[in-house]
Amino acid sequence: MWLGHSCPRRPASKIKLEEGRSVNRLMATDVNTATVAAAHSCWSCGDMRAAQFCKACGKVQPPEPVDYFSFFGLPRKLNIDTSTLEREFYSLSRKLHPDIYAGSKSQEQEWSLEQSSRLNDAYRILKDPIRRTEYLLKLEGVELEGQSKAATEEARKTGEKKQIVPPDLLEEVFELNMQLEELRATKKLGEEDPALIQELQAHKQSLEMKFNTLFDELKGYWDEWDSADKCHNEQERRRVRDKMVDLLNRRSYIRNLVRDVNEVLEA
Amino acid sequence: MSYSNKVIDHYNNPRNVGSMDKNSAEVGTGLVGAPECGDVMKLQIKVNPATNVIEDAKFKTFGCGSAIASSSLATEWVKGKTIDEALAIKNTEIVKELSLPPVKIHCSVLAEDAIRAAIGDWKKKQSTPVAVAEAKV
Repeated sequence: MWLGHSCPRRPASKIKLEEGRSVNRLMATDVNTATVAAAHSCWSCGDMRAAQFCKACGKVQPPEPVDYFSFFGLPRKLNIDTSTLEREFYSLSRKLHPDIYAGSKSQEQEWSLEQSSRLNDAYRILKDPIRRTEYLLKLEGVELEGQSKAATEEARKTGEKKQIVPPDLLEEVFELNMQLEELRATKKLGEEDPALIQELQAHKQSLEMKFNTLFDELKGYWDEWDSADKCHNEQERRRVRDKMVDLLNRRSYIRNLVRDVNEVLEA
Repeated sequence: MSYSNKVIDHYNNPRNVGSMDKNSAEVGTGLVGAPECGDVMKLQIKVNPATNVIEDAKFKTFGCGSAIASSSLATEWVKGKTIDEALAIKNTEIVKELSLPPVKIHCSVLAEDAIRAAIGDWKKKQSTPVAVAEAKV
């Protein structure tokens, strides 16, 4: 049975309700990870192929439209073994290097090039904890770029105010921008304002600390996500997903703020 | 990509920049932001309680030229309108008026959000006058 031992028991009615969906999900996960190779056969020998090479004859394969986790044969989790990832990356880099295929069929040359570039993209995203989280959220259908527009449409319909940025953070961003504007104006006049500079520097330090805290907080949700995902707990998945989106939003605001403060202080 | 003449005009001569007393019962304040670009926009309206007409509007925006132009235009448009008329303003109208390119549509979205947030704040004050009076003390 797919229910792991660590998953909390839920009321019987609920399990029944979600059974159908869970089975579907399980199949989807399988296609994306372990059995992706079985779905397609090698172009050369017809045997089973993995994401990059045929398991039987070792020939390079045309790129499959699989997600980056599957590309590395990793489970779709936020906590991943980065040393395995790195090892796999270097091993695949060597095997897929286009130089090796200099004497091969032009089609194989092309595939090795495409696979190499895909390998680099996948590695760049997965090794970076923030990008990995953003990527997984994207696979979950969360478009961090488009959420503002979606929230506006929702607000328009319901007549409610939309709130994707926490109000306390907005106040802080606004106030800090006022100070930055003041300092820019002062500098333009060629005057010094040591008190304001000091205030901004202190503010910047506290922002940087907050930035780091947010990262730790985000990492704290990885376990929660992975276990909710493993247990197919939809409600919990949604809760953790929204929390991670909120943290990423706060983080990008603070990143922009620190950048702006640095710009003004260094000008 | 370059800014349209109307964006440049609003950027160089923004209308209604400033602020009003956010504690006043007649004033509604909307503070909104977009995490993807880090913009933050404050829009305030002063409403005549007898007629529900927006008599004055002010804004202050930190962001790109399109965000500034969108909020500047929004203050121009809401002035003289009733609350309900102002709520009907859609971001697509701002996009059209300023000829915003697709990558800048979120700036107009932000301006629409700001109008709605300011009106929401004002409405809240009307329904809980006691709470507002207490908050001031």
